[in-house]
Amino acid sequence: MTEVSATDLVVLKDVNKHFGALHVLQDIDLTIARGEVVVVIGPSGSGKSTLCRAINRLETIDSGHITIDDKPLPAEGKELARLRADVGMVFQSFNLFAHRTVLENVTLGQIKVRKTDKKAAEEKARTLLDRVGVGNQADKYPAQLSGGQQQRVAIARALAMDPKVMLFDEPTSALDPEMINEVLEVMQQLARDGMTMIVVTHEMGFARSAANRVVFMADGRIVEQATPDQFFSNPRSDRAKDFLSKILHH
Amino acid sequence: MNLRKTAAAAFAVVALTASATACGKSGSPSGSTTPSAAGGSSAAAALPTYAVKTGVKLSGSKTWDRIEKNGKITIGVKADQPNLGFQDPATKKYSGFDIEIAKMVAADLGFGEDKITFKTIQSANRETAIAGGQVDYYVGTYTINPERQKQVSFAGPYFVAGQDLLVKKGSSIKSKDDLKGKKVCSATGSTSIQRIKNGPYGAKPVEYDAYSLCVDNLISGQVDAVTTDDAILKGFAAKYPDQIQVLGKPFSEEPYGVGLLKGDTAFQDAVTAALKSHEDNGDWKKAYDATLGKSGVTAAIPPLDSSS
Amino acid sequence: MNVLLDNFALFREGFLGTVELTALSGAIALVLGVVIAAFRVSPVPPLRYFGAAWVTLLRNTPLTLLFFIAVLVLPRLGMNTWSFFQLAVLALSCYTSAFICEAVRSGINTVSLGQAEAARSLGMTFTQTLRLIILPQATRTVLPPIGSLLIALAKNSAIAGGFSVFELFSVQKTLSEQGYNIFLIFLWVAIAYLIITFFISAVFRFLETRLAVAR
Repeated sequence: MTEVSATDLVVLKDVNKHFGALHVLQDIDLTIARGEVVVVIGPSGSGKSTLCRAINRLETIDSGHITIDDKPLPAEGKELARLRADVGMVFQSFNLFAHRTVLENVTLGQIKVRKTDKKAAEEKARTLLDRVGVGNQADKYPAQLSGGQQQRVAIARALAMDPKVMLFDEPTSALDPEMINEVLEVMQQLARDGMTMIVVTHEMGFARSAANRVVFMADGRIVEQATPDQFFSNPRSDRAKDFLSKILHH
Repeated sequence: MNLRKTAAAAFAVVALTASATACGKSGSPSGSTTPSAAGGSSAAAALPTYAVKTGVKLSGSKTWDRIEKNGKITIGVKADQPNLGFQDPATKKYSGFDIEIAKMVAADLGFGEDKITFKTIQSANRETAIAGGQVDYYVGTYTINPERQKQVSFAGPYFVAGQDLLVKKGSSIKSKDDLKGKKVCSATGSTSIQRIKNGPYGAKPVEYDAYSLCVDNLISGQVDAVTTDDAILKGFAAKYPDQIQVLGKPFSEEPYGVGLLKGDTAFQDAVTAALKSHEDNGDWKKAYDATLGKSGVTAAIPPLDSSS
Repeated sequence: MNVLLDNFALFREGFLGTVELTALSGAIALVLGVVIAAFRVSPVPPLRYFGAAWVTLLRNTPLTLLFFIAVLVLPRLGMNTWSFFQLAVLALSCYTSAFICEAVRSGINTVSLGQAEAARSLGMTFTQTLRLIILPQATRTVLPPIGSLLIALAKNSAIAGGFSVFELFSVQKTLSEQGYNIFLIFLWVAIAYLIITFFISAVFRFLETRLAVAR
C-alpha cells in the first residue's frame, strides 16, 4: 500500500449544491490527507451521501472546487473517466454487474479501463476475492450471493483498480444485521493497511475503532469535525449531541 | 387497399414540385403545362347525350333482377386514367371514354345519368366485385382474356387497345426497338411491364403503383418512356399535349370488354345490343372524339364478338 | 388452375425479394436504432437533439410518404445512382430504426441507474458503460418488442412493391393482372409472409430462452 504522507489527497473548497430549492451542500470545506480514514455521519438528509458522490462527480456541484491529488475534477469525458478509475466507490446497493460473474465483475475494470491483460487481471481478482473472503464464489453470478458477500465483491472490484482513495456510501445500510460485520471487518483491514477512505455510515462502532477523524454533517453543512474519541465523548455542537443521543440509545 | 389513396394524396404534393421543375427544364411558358380538364372541354368535340329507353325488361337475368330491385344501376370503373376513366378529385365527377361507354349501356337499359352510381374498383378487385354483385357491370380498360373469362363474362370488345409507348416530345425513342438501356415505366405487375421484361427489348423496367407516377417521372426525366395500353397513354397525352406524346405504334392487342356476372347470358346479350346500337348511331365516335380523340390519334370501332 | 405451381418461379422471386428487403433493412435498422438510442441517452446535448429529431421525424411520417421522398425526391437531389432496391432499404431501415431506437431506449431505462454509476466510477467511458454494462442487460427486455418491430418491417416491406422493387406484393399484382383468382393469390402471399414472420418469431424466442438460461 501507499506510504502514509502528510500531503492532502482530497480537497473540497466552498462547495455548494442545490436540488431545486433544497440547499444540500452549503459551503463545504473539507481536506482529507493521504492515508487518512474519515467517517462522515449525520442524520438522513444531511447531505453526507451527496458529499461522497460529489467527490467522484456522480453528482455535479453548483460552485466551489474539488481536487484529487492536486488535480481539479474535470468535466464529463475521457479525462473524468481516467480520474474516476483512481477513486474507488462502494455503493449502498452494491451495484455489481448483474450479467457478469463475480470474477468478471472484478476483472472488467482492469481489462477495459486499465488495459491489463486478461490473465494478470484474473490473477489479481482472485487474490482480492480471497482477501475479502469470497474466493470460492468467483464463478457465480451476483444474484446467487448474499448481500454481505456481494458487498465484499464490490469492495474487491473497487480495489482492483488500485485506487488512491476509496469512497464508501453507506456500505452496510442495505445489509441484514448478521452480515454487517463481515463487511466492516474487510473495511477495517483496509484502514489498517493505510488506504485513504471516506466512509459515510451509521456504524458508530466502525467510526470509533477505524476512523482518524469524524465529520458530522447536518442540513448540508459540516457542523463539527473531531477525532472519534473527542466526538463521541464530548460533542461540542447541540446538533451532534442531539444526534448521538438518538442513535446511541437504540 | 388504401395504399393507393395515400399514394395519390402524397403524389399531389410531389407532383406540384415535379411539374414545377418540369417547366424549368423544358423552358416552355408555364401556361402551357396546365392540364386541360378531362371532359367538359369546349375546344374538342362535345360529348353526346344518350336517349334513355323506357319500359326495358329482361327475363332470366340475375343482374337485371338486382338492378330492378335497387332502382338504379351500379357500374364499376377506374378513376385514375384521364380521358378514359377518371374522377375529378374536386367535383367527384367521373369522365372519359369508358365512362361514356358505361352511360350508353345504362341508357339502353333504361337508366339515365341520375340513376347511375359509379364505383371505383381497382384492377385487382374487378373479378370479386363483379362476382359478388358489388357492381352490375364493369367498364374500365378490362382486357378480355381466357384466364379472366373463367371468372367473368364479357360483352364487347367495344375498343381494341394495344400496348404502346408514351415519350417526351423530341425523344430519341421512335419505336419499341429503341428501348435498349432505357428506363421504361408501368404499373406494378402489369401485363405491359411483363412484356417489356420478358421481351427482347433490353429496357430497364420501373414499376410504380400508379400510371400517374410514371407520367410524372417521364416529364421530370427520371424515366424515358411509359408503357401500357395506348388508350390509357392517350388519355395522359391529351392532358399534357405540349410535353408528351404517344408513339402510335401498338405492339399488342388488348380488346376491352364490359365485364359482367359469369353466365348471365341474357344480360350479356342486352349489353352487346346496347353497344351495337350506339356504335351504329354515331355515339361511339362522338364519345371517342370528345375524350381520347383529343390526343390526336384516331381509332376504329372493332367488331363485336357475341361469344365472349 | 394452381396459382402456386404455375408461377412458382415468380413466387420464389417475390419471396426472396421480401426476405432480402427485410433482412437488409432489419440489420441496418438495428445498428442505426442502437446508435440513435445511444445518442438519445448520451451526455452530449447536440447528439441528444439529433436523436430526438431523428425519432420524431421518422416515427411520425407515414412510411408511404418516406418512400415517395426516397424514390421520387432523393434521385432529383442527386442520389440518382441508387437503385430502387437500395432506396427502398434506405426508407425502410430509417423508418424502422426510429422505432427500434425507442425500444432500446426503454430497455436502457429498465437497467437500474446504479449499474451505470458503478461502471462510471470504475472509470469506464460513456460508450464502454453502454456497450459493456447497460446494453447487455437491456437486451432481454428489448428482445420481444424488437421482434415485433422486425415482423412489422417484413410486412411494411410490401410498400416497396409499389416502387419498382419486386417482392411478395408485386407477385400478387402481377398474378391478379393475369386474371388468377385473387383469393388464392392472397392465400399464398399470406402464407409466404407467415413463413417469414414465423421465422423471425422463432429466432427471437430462441434468443430469449438462451438469454434466460445465461442468467
